Formats: sequence, structure tokens, C-alpha cells
Amino acid sequence: MLADFNFRIIFEYLPLFLTGLRSTFLISIVSIILALVTGTIACAGRISSIKLLKYPAIAYIEIIRSTPLLVQIYFLYFGLPTLGIRVPEIQTGIIALMLNSGAYIAEIIRAGITSVDDGQIEAGVSSGLNYFQRMRFIILPQALGVTVPPLLGQSIVLVKDSALLSLISVMELTRCGQTMTSERFMPTEAFLTVAFFYMCIYFCLKSLADWSQKKLIFREAY
Amino acid sequence: MIEFKNVNKWFGKLHVLNDINLDIDAGEVLVICGPSGSGKSTLIRCINRLETIQEGEIVVDGVPVHDKKTNLTKLRADIGFVFQQFHLYPHMTVLQNVMLAPVNVKKMSTAAAEKISREKLTQVGLTDKAGAHPAQLSGGQQQRVAIARGLAMSPKIMLFDEPTSALDPEMIGEVLDVMVNLVSEGMTMCVVTHEMGFARKVADRVLFMDFGKIIETGKPTDFFDNPRTDRAADFISKILTH
Repeated sequence: MLADFNFRIIFEYLPLFLTGLRSTFLISIVSIILALVTGTIACAGRISSIKLLKYPAIAYIEIIRSTPLLVQIYFLYFGLPTLGIRVPEIQTGIIALMLNSGAYIAEIIRAGITSVDDGQIEAGVSSGLNYFQRMRFIILPQALGVTVPPLLGQSIVLVKDSALLSLISVMELTRCGQTMTSERFMPTEAFLTVAFFYMCIYFCLKSLADWSQKKLIFREAY
Repeated sequence: MIEFKNVNKWFGKLHVLNDINLDIDAGEVLVICGPSGSGKSTLIRCINRLETIQEGEIVVDGVPVHDKKTNLTKLRADIGFVFQQFHLYPHMTVLQNVMLAPVNVKKMSTAAAEKISREKLTQVGLTDKAGAHPAQLSGGQQQRVAIARGLAMSPKIMLFDEPTSALDPEMIGEVLDVMVNLVSEGMTMCVVTHEMGFARKVADRVLFMDFGKIIETGKPTDFFDNPRTDRAADFISKILTH
């Protein structure tokens, strides 16, 4: 099998793959940052006692989590232009990934916040600390520790999900594989290369996650 | 100092506080006992509005606790609360735990807050543990830190919700000693506890609750030796046989 494997063509297409990798990387970074912002806002709404903030946040989180990402991408891709909003595919893709991951991140952050023992919050209340002081001094420092590993996990998911943007012709890593396949009809070489690059990103993020986890566990143990 | 007027509270259908009338004077030490679920914790949690009430009025040092206009921060800053499970902040050192409220609620300077916090840690016998984290301390030490944390706000009232119930027997004494020491300073205290030795030694009054009602109140010697109600006599005989 390996004898049939054409390495030459991979090297020939390497510049294309590298632009794809760069594009996947940039899309992922921008999407993750925007998703963190979206997720934080959605989580703040979700745990708020103000109904006007809480229910829209719940609706957003539930709608996103109950529908496939691909449907969401198509919805934005075909839906936005009918509303008269014309944005390039790549922006559409970033918005889709941001909205999708934002909902999951909102739940991750919420889990972190609710993981802090109620008793500590009561202790804060009874000594006169207000809501923001309790958040800042008691809840967030502890919530941050437990949310970092799952947030990195969500980032890994987002990177792989960005492959779906190939379906709205964003020139990212997977799309490069498709391009090579249609030009030379060598899908094995094309997608093995694509897979290899995704694995590279995955292992970078995973080692970051492992490192942060060790760091956090160490901090708890003293 | 603390006044309950016809206070009623329900958790759903459960009538957890049933027409409570109570006056606690400044400097008085009140011990509240009773079977679990009798409403004793709820009673003291209403004093700093950790719990709301549906009927009646609670006045603390002239301030109506459950009035909408009441400045809760000010009220709570004046009332120290010690929990059964300590509830120290595990990510902070002992000193940071004690300093947090003085700096952020009372807006004291860091230096002033540190000074009073160290004083209070000395008072509870933990001068040398200021830099430790709660997880490094024994249960008894953690509870003493929790008491110091309350005292650092220079409160007018200290509330204790079963402060020794989560402790190993050999650590109960060190916590009670700190509390006895507080009594001698003239602190107004409400203590939910089953430590009868403590009650006999320092309580001005014992209050016995069951089913959300105050069944009996009296001086500790009268209450323990000559309970007036069968319910109280039954309760006392049960806790003394163990």
C-alpha cells in the first residue's frame, strides 16, 4: 500500500496545505476568543435572576445545543443574505463557530461557578460582601481553576468543527484536501495529510490542557 | 439587641418558624437547642437575613432586618456568623480569609485590616497559622479561623450555627474555649449547640425549640435539671445518655 502512496504529490501541494493550516489556525483562534466572550456573556445571562437576561440566554444555549453545527452554518450561510446581510464565507464561518462554541462555553463556565460550595457564598454574604465582591474574590478565582481544562477541550472540538466550513467553501485545511482530491484524484494522500495537520494542532492544545491541569491540581494540593 | 415579634416562616408547607417572640439583650448569651429540623438554625439565619421571613418583624439594634430599605451590608457587617462547616475560602491563606471583609466591606486600609486580623488570630490562638491555607489546618483550627474572620469585623453580635457539630471530639474543646473567652468579653451571642457543658457554664438563657416553636426557655440550671415540659425532659434525657 505504501508503495502506491505518492509522497511527491504531497510535497507538491504542501504550500496549499500550509495556507490551509494557517487559515484553520486563524479561524480557530478568532472563533475561540469570540466564543469565550459570547459564552461569558451568555453565562452571565443564564445565572442572572433578571428574567429579561435569563430567558434569552437559556433560549440561545438550548437552541445551539439541540441543533447540528452544520445546520447552523447553512442557516447563517443561506439565511443572512436573505436578510440583506452579505458577509464573506469566512466571516459567516467564524460567526457560526463563535455562536456554537459560545453556548457550550457558557455551560462550562456555569459549571465552574456552581462548583463553588454554596456555603462559601453564604459566608461571603453574611460578612457583607456584595454580589460582585463575592464573584471577584470567592467564586471566580476558584471557578477559573476548574474551567480551564474543559475550555481547552472545547477549543479542540472547535478546531475540528472548523472542518465543516469547507462545505461553505472556506479555504481552510479540509477544503485544501478537497481541492487536491478534485485536481489529482488522490483522496488518500490528501486527507491523510489533512488529518496529520489536525493532529498536530490537537497535540499542541492537548499538551497545553495537560500542563494547565497539572498546574491546577498542584495548586490545590499545596 | 435582637427582637423577634410574631415571626412566622414557611418552607413550602412546612411551618418552620411558628409565631416566634423573643428578646435578646446586649451582652446576653443565648443557647438554642432542640431536635434536628426544629427550626433552630433557621431562627438564627433570619437574624442577618440569610433567610427571609413571611410574617412578623425582626429588629436588630434598632434596625428592622426584613425591611426593604434596610442597608443589608451594614447590618451584616455588624453580625458575625460561624457555620457548622466553617466555610473558609480554600484558595486564600488564613490571613486573607480574615482580612477579606474588613478591607472590602469596611474599606479599611490593608495595614489596618492586617493588624486587626492578626490580633483576632492571636485571640483564637492561631498566630502562627496566618500564612497557612485552610486545607492544612485541622477542623478545630479551621473553625477558630472562621471565628476570627467574624470577629475581625468588630461585630456587635456573633451567631454560631452548631459550631462544633462537624468536629472530632478532641477538637471541640479548643473551639468552645475560644467561645467562652468571647463571652467574658461581653459579646452578644446566639449559639445553636448541643454542648450542654458549654450551655451550663456560660449561657444566660437556654431556649428549647421543636416543630418551629419555642417550647421552653429558662436559665440553664433550671432547664437542664428541672425541665417544665415533657418534650424538653425527653430531649435532655436523650442527649445526656450519649
